[in-house]
Amino acid sequence: MNGYNFAYLDEQTKRMIRRALLKAVAIPGYQVPFGGREMPMPYGWGTGGVQLTASILGADDILKVIDQGADDTTNAVSIRHFFQRVAGVETTTATTAADVIQTRHRIPETPLRSGQILVFQVPIPEPLRFIEPSEQETRLMHALEEYGVMHVKLYEDIARYGHIATTYAYPVKVDGRYVMDPSPIPKFDNPKLDGNPALMLFGAGREKRLYAIPPHTRVESLDFEDHPFEIQRWEHSCALCGSDRSYLDEVITDDKGGRMFVCSDTDYCQTRRGEVA
Amino acid sequence: MTMEKGTVTQHRGASSAAWPGLADPAHDSQRLFRQILGAMSEPGTLTTLAVPAPPQAAPSDALGAALWGVILTLCDLETRVWIAADLDSPPLREALTFHTGARITDDPANADFALLTHESFDPQTPFALGSDTYPDRGTTLLVAVERLANAEPWILSGPGIETIRALDIGDSPGCRALMDRLAANRASFPRGLDMIFGCGARLAAVPRSTRADSREVN
Amino acid sequence: MYVAVKGGEQAIASAHRWLADRRRGDRDRPELEVAQIGDQLRLAVDRVMSEASLYDPELAALAFKQASGDLTEAVFLLRAYRTTLPRLAVSEPLDTASMRIERRISATYKDIPGGQILGPTYDYTHRLLDFLQLAGAEVPAAEIREEVTDAEACPQILELLNDEGLVEQEIDDGAEPSDITRDPPDYPMDRAARLQMLARGDEGYLLALGYSTQRGYGRNHPFAGEIRLGQVEVEIHVDEWDETICVGEIALSECQMINQFSGSREAAPQFTRGYGLAFGHNERKTMAMALVDRALRAEELGEPIIGPAQQAEFVLAHADSVDASGFVSHLKLPHYVDFQSELDLLRRLRREHAQNTSFGQSESHGNPATEGETSVRKSGQGKHDRESGVHGL
Repeated sequence: MNGYNFAYLDEQTKRMIRRALLKAVAIPGYQVPFGGREMPMPYGWGTGGVQLTASILGADDILKVIDQGADDTTNAVSIRHFFQRVAGVETTTATTAADVIQTRHRIPETPLRSGQILVFQVPIPEPLRFIEPSEQETRLMHALEEYGVMHVKLYEDIARYGHIATTYAYPVKVDGRYVMDPSPIPKFDNPKLDGNPALMLFGAGREKRLYAIPPHTRVESLDFEDHPFEIQRWEHSCALCGSDRSYLDEVITDDKGGRMFVCSDTDYCQTRRGEVA
Repeated sequence: MTMEKGTVTQHRGASSAAWPGLADPAHDSQRLFRQILGAMSEPGTLTTLAVPAPPQAAPSDALGAALWGVILTLCDLETRVWIAADLDSPPLREALTFHTGARITDDPANADFALLTHESFDPQTPFALGSDTYPDRGTTLLVAVERLANAEPWILSGPGIETIRALDIGDSPGCRALMDRLAANRASFPRGLDMIFGCGARLAAVPRSTRADSREVN
Repeated sequence: MYVAVKGGEQAIASAHRWLADRRRGDRDRPELEVAQIGDQLRLAVDRVMSEASLYDPELAALAFKQASGDLTEAVFLLRAYRTTLPRLAVSEPLDTASMRIERRISATYKDIPGGQILGPTYDYTHRLLDFLQLAGAEVPAAEIREEVTDAEACPQILELLNDEGLVEQEIDDGAEPSDITRDPPDYPMDRAARLQMLARGDEGYLLALGYSTQRGYGRNHPFAGEIRLGQVEVEIHVDEWDETICVGEIALSECQMINQFSGSREAAPQFTRGYGLAFGHNERKTMAMALVDRALRAEELGEPIIGPAQQAEFVLAHADSVDASGFVSHLKLPHYVDFQSELDLLRRLRREHAQNTSFGQSESHGNPATEGETSVRKSGQGKHDRESGVHGL
């Protein structure tokens, strides 16, 4: 694209983000403030992830972009198209073929491998934000490792509903130190954060924060001894590929209560059905 | 306000030609950054940077090609760099300013990056460790070491390491002091020092999240 | 047979084509020229420049046209362009005292040196629709009074008070101000950073907040000390020549409020100040900004923080229309994975509720027997007890 630098961002902005990324990797789970820039897409639509991807992407990389687990959702299409335009990179829908995967709300079902980088789009990076709205306060709480209030919140759910009522963006503790928001992935995906061989980077553009989980890092979902963390399970299997271990989307098929369940991860589902070469 | 695009004149330092820059800044720095990111993400792994070596002129050539590549990749006019006395020279300063625009500082506590060798490492130098509220605001040390090998005495574990990884940076007192300093990081975490080691074109990193233990009996 | 939805790419392309068609409108009418917008819709252009924080009337007009008149969208377009521009120089501080004045009024004195200059204002227009404009009637040229070019003739009103020591003095401490376009926000924020954020804040938002202070939510007794609009020279210092040169002129609006006085045993009472500045003719914006600026100084001046407009983090974190419109509109994006999570839990809770009710059990789902035993497994306890909240786990 004429008039713009490779991968859209100017080199100085990339360097600023790269320096912040190295600190993020050095302090796993800690939210590093960075001078986030406006991007040509709205805040809240993945500008954090896009800035991170733009800062790490090389001409030889193969990029995959998913939203809700799917490669063909409109925003995934739009972001993939953006990088094809500004970086001319090759793109793929195959999880195994990708070097960099930008995602919103899911971690692919296919296990990631060493050397891959998963970039998460994050709307609200602060896991304590809904308990304490002030940034000054939450920063202090992280500094003092003062996370009791988070357990109180989760426990209030148990007292009220009999279960922890957080089903996505479920808080985790990284390497025994920082409580971190894993972005709005369903808690089904939380176990994939633990000891993953891929590097996981998180970017929040509007809130101007980025953070990281290095490969092979211990990541625990917060829980209680008598209310251990558990993930969603379905009574159904995927209606298309038959998988009984993937995250399923409910699809309404008629106006008489008919519905079916299909894999949210389209590449996983198609690969299982042999539709992908 | 919008400025009309104008020509910015740059002053070319007389001796800076000898210190190489990146041939293709956008793509070269991306490639080098990914190597540095990989090194920091998987502490102790060795990687070789394809970057032209600095001119062979003492004392600054001790820096080595890999660390010069790190500087070209990460430094710009928004960064402050501290240079240890045993590496310092007018040509290095000129090259740093010319290629990156980085500001050189005499105050280690004010430095984003510090350039030093294992011989000049002093555990008492007051580099910035960051604060408990902003642990990221710390100095990253770029240290030229005796050697880089995945061998004992040092055993690394923690984030980025599946089980354990061995690292040997040399036998000198400075090398030992460097690793002792890294071992002490855990006590001050999340404050701490992150280090990138260079030996010629080879590079390895040990961030503050790494647990470093010595197999040697002291 | 259900087939996974495809074709997002095509859908997006046709949406863009349709949008462009709608924007052009009836082809029988001439297309709007960008120059016409800059000329005849200048206040919209000024607002776009101000909130985008880029002074470029032509591109602001283009953004306004491209956005079909949606100001928030136009601000976003221009702001996104702004980030791609290299920074070639930093200007010297603008000197609004030497403004080439088009309008200048003070509400605090009947007459002032240099006089009250109404300028091109809507203030005393009767808000009656002018049906002649509908009929395309031409407007006669105005007799414009001779421009006041001698800045000495129009001293800044607050500086007159300053001579008597009646108003607090603002002193440049020489510190380099932070730059909100490059540095992430760091609370608490100093006044220089706060003013930068307010200057590109959404006008409607600042207006509402400023208004709230007038109605008692953090009242600060304002007087419009001086409002001036006009042209100000932009100068840069060229190191090579060791000289300061003028690179052009920009239109600015400035509002200086005189606010309630403060004093103490040590310091004699003085009026305080609130400040507003914006690109172009943006008088309402600068007045609202000055009210909010003054409200945000509550802590510094030892005033109780009782109104929303006085809460710095709240005010500043939500002032930017590009931030706000992006995040509100992102709710349009698919959220079906998370929604599925919530559905799943809700169905489960309702099943359990129905079971409990049919067994005639208590409505409370909490099991009192386990409550006392519940303990934190992961090390989540804070090192310090906080003042508020329930912390006994």
